[in-house]
Amino acid sequence: MKDLKHLYYFEKLLEEANHDLIREAQSRGQIAIGAVCFQIPEPLLNLPGCFSVRFRAPRTASMEMGTYYMSSMLCEGCRAILERAIEGGFEFLDCIIAPDACAQMNRCVENIERQNLCTKEKFFVSYADVPMKADDTALEHYVRQMREHVLKPLEEHYGIDISDQAMREAVETQNRISRLISEIGAYRKEENPRITGYEFAVLCTATYCSPKELLLEKLEETAEELKTREPDEKPGFRARVLLAGSEIDDPGFIRLVEDAGALVVADRFCFGSLPGRSEILLTEKEDPLTQICRTYMEWGKCPRFMNTAKIQERQTYIDALAKEYHAEGLIYQQLKFCDYWGYERASAFHVMREEYGYPVLSLDRPYVVGNSGQVRTRVQAFVESLEIKRAGRS
Amino acid sequence: MGKAVGSEPLGRLYTGKKPRRRREWRGLKDTMYDYFRWLGYWKTLIGFTLSINNIKGFLRYRWMLNYLAMPDYMDRHTEGMRGVQLRMAHQGLGLIVTDICEMLKKIFRADPEVGNDKAFNSKIVLFDENMMSTLMGGFPNLIWLSVEVPAVYTCSMLNQTGVTYYVEKTQEYGVPSDVCPMPAAELGVTLADDFPLIGKCAVQCNTTCDGSLMGNGMEARSFKIPTFQLAVPIRHRQESVQEYAAKEVLNAIHFIEEQTGETFDWNAFFDSMKRFNAETREFLEWMDLSKTDYPQMMGVTLALYRYGVYQAAGGRNQAFLDMDRKLTKLAMKGWQEKQMAAKEYRHRCMTWGVQAAYYTALPIWLMNCWGIVPIADMLTTVSTEMVNTEDKDQALLDLAYLYENMIMRNRSNGGYETGVEALFSYCEQLRIDMVIMYVHMGCKAMAGYHGLFEEEARKRGIHWIWVTHNLMCPQDGSRRDMRMEINRYMRTVLREEPLDPSLEDFDDSENW
Repeated sequence: MKDLKHLYYFEKLLEEANHDLIREAQSRGQIAIGAVCFQIPEPLLNLPGCFSVRFRAPRTASMEMGTYYMSSMLCEGCRAILERAIEGGFEFLDCIIAPDACAQMNRCVENIERQNLCTKEKFFVSYADVPMKADDTALEHYVRQMREHVLKPLEEHYGIDISDQAMREAVETQNRISRLISEIGAYRKEENPRITGYEFAVLCTATYCSPKELLLEKLEETAEELKTREPDEKPGFRARVLLAGSEIDDPGFIRLVEDAGALVVADRFCFGSLPGRSEILLTEKEDPLTQICRTYMEWGKCPRFMNTAKIQERQTYIDALAKEYHAEGLIYQQLKFCDYWGYERASAFHVMREEYGYPVLSLDRPYVVGNSGQVRTRVQAFVESLEIKRAGRS
Repeated sequence: MGKAVGSEPLGRLYTGKKPRRRREWRGLKDTMYDYFRWLGYWKTLIGFTLSINNIKGFLRYRWMLNYLAMPDYMDRHTEGMRGVQLRMAHQGLGLIVTDICEMLKKIFRADPEVGNDKAFNSKIVLFDENMMSTLMGGFPNLIWLSVEVPAVYTCSMLNQTGVTYYVEKTQEYGVPSDVCPMPAAELGVTLADDFPLIGKCAVQCNTTCDGSLMGNGMEARSFKIPTFQLAVPIRHRQESVQEYAAKEVLNAIHFIEEQTGETFDWNAFFDSMKRFNAETREFLEWMDLSKTDYPQMMGVTLALYRYGVYQAAGGRNQAFLDMDRKLTKLAMKGWQEKQMAAKEYRHRCMTWGVQAAYYTALPIWLMNCWGIVPIADMLTTVSTEMVNTEDKDQALLDLAYLYENMIMRNRSNGGYETGVEALFSYCEQLRIDMVIMYVHMGCKAMAGYHGLFEEEARKRGIHWIWVTHNLMCPQDGSRRDMRMEINRYMRTVLREEPLDPSLEDFDDSENW
């Protein structure tokens, strides 16, 4: 396929935690909010005058300082982010707003705070308690937490407009991004998709760590370009897979999977588009904050949602996606030392295989995958097994 | 050899094999007391086996074998003790032994594969292991039980390899080996079909950690009874979460009412909470004594007994309050007589982090070998707030606060102020000069503060000893390895000689 015109541009954005668009937005007087988790709804961090930057640690090599402060038994993603912070890589942030969602990421943020690694005068860290169940009591709690630990500090420290109107505006901006990403992502349903999983991941990841308005133009052009893009006549993949699990903030991992022959047609992980880049539908009947929180609570597919209904919903959602995107197999991956996905991956491996009939590859991986031979070999073997199954059926 | 504390080299009790000789000469009075208590444990065990249900349960469940090590467990947890210390350990821990036996009897009575008493079973509400039983004080006609406590937690303490089989089951299933062995063992029991499937309904909780929560979800599939998940806030020091916490507890109460047809009895609950408050007051007495030069209720006796009172009894059992009072009396006596638990007190320590379930007797070794006095441990430092016993709304808020501050979760959740700052505040209050910091390999909550702990300890001039273990998997960090880390620090940093050189290094890998 012909290269996407702006792919290199988006790839360059992802090479730095503090990239050009962040600097541009800050030079216009906007404040940069460090975000660590899906469970603080993005529109609340992207009100007029501020924008969210989801933590990543691109091009990580050593993480020795992070390991000293958090020990070698903790998630490498968290350690890499702390390392980057110690190196001064997040000095640009004006605040961090974090949910206490997983203990490891919480410790990472607490280390950043306690070691004073962000030194701007008005810098602050706010922690919110986010729901672990999806019901009315939890929603009420969620709304209160967002009001007290997200909106109020933003208003108090930086005078951010937290009115209903501002929230609706932020939702509309995010919806514009989400519509574009969904439109682009839908091409992955095609028999011979005109976009690869890697290309899509680059675009999608960029939307989580850039000021959204500054991305719109290039994304619109890319969507336009894709309308007429011709895929190669002979598909460059041997199997279609759905990728689920821990957060993947490095599209390089998806390239690795695709180089091994498995086209990633659906992405159910943090930094992915399903369901994170769906549209938020607001009505006039209810205040926007409650509606935003309800949407995020319903979208939430993190294993930390502990009630039985949510546990089952995670499985049925994967099943529905696999059917919609015509995935032949599922890859469940887990960042090493992640307790949530450690259990969820093991459980899904059995449930999705035995109860839903999907071939499943269960994989744990380091944060920096690079050119991991182990991962490649396992994906190759999985692709072969899918081919054998296909041959057997025909 | 003699009556005095530390007069006997205790290392001789360890031969590298299963212990056959545990009797110490503690002077006539203490030896006789200890011996009769020991006979009493055998009587409890033999009495337990006189019931057909219990025999059937013993033959059905693999983990029941661990209970044969109970007399040895008591020997381990009274090693070297004399006088008041010996009596407090036997009486406090003895009550827990009796309580566990009662729990097992009820479980086997209800178990469809054993006693199959359906009417009895329909009265049982199953709670998960780390969850306080407190709210059941309002359901006097129902029976609170936890199958995980006798199957996993106590087994690992009785026998160091007691649940490793189940941890391996979970790893075979595909759960990584870096998760906490406790929920892993619980899931392993589920996978091995080794839980008694009892109860009318179940209540689970996001108790200790992320791993524990995930294990629960998978266990709930196999219990096949209606299950309520109680989501207690994680940032439990924030004022803004308290109202939600109370609503969640109320939701749990409503769930139990719906499932069982019982109504929450506020009067019974208030009575129960009055007992709970009285128990808290006794605990505060012990802590007051611990601030002095002659602490009495401390170390492993305090830790294990406090778990029983706070988590399992939860004000519902008068026997625990009676025992509390007895212990206070003994402690006061010991304090007045200036009784010491070791022949010399060199350091006052806190043990922080999660202790190894397979080596709960480490604090006793610390005293006997190095004269390090384990004043208190992390899991003991739970809420000491009183529960309102008149106003229902306030009582719910107070009850929720207890659930937020359940053992372990009150330190593993809640952030820096609960995990780190609180420790140093205890160090000041209790005049601590040394922290034995357990590095539980699977515990991500505490590991995340590794560097911050060291920096804070350095600032305050507190000796800091890291002791690595893997909670229920001694093969990952044996008891001997744990002692080695302490020995190294004592020898190389502090350049001290042990009080009892025979305890400095010995092989107990084959012990229970």
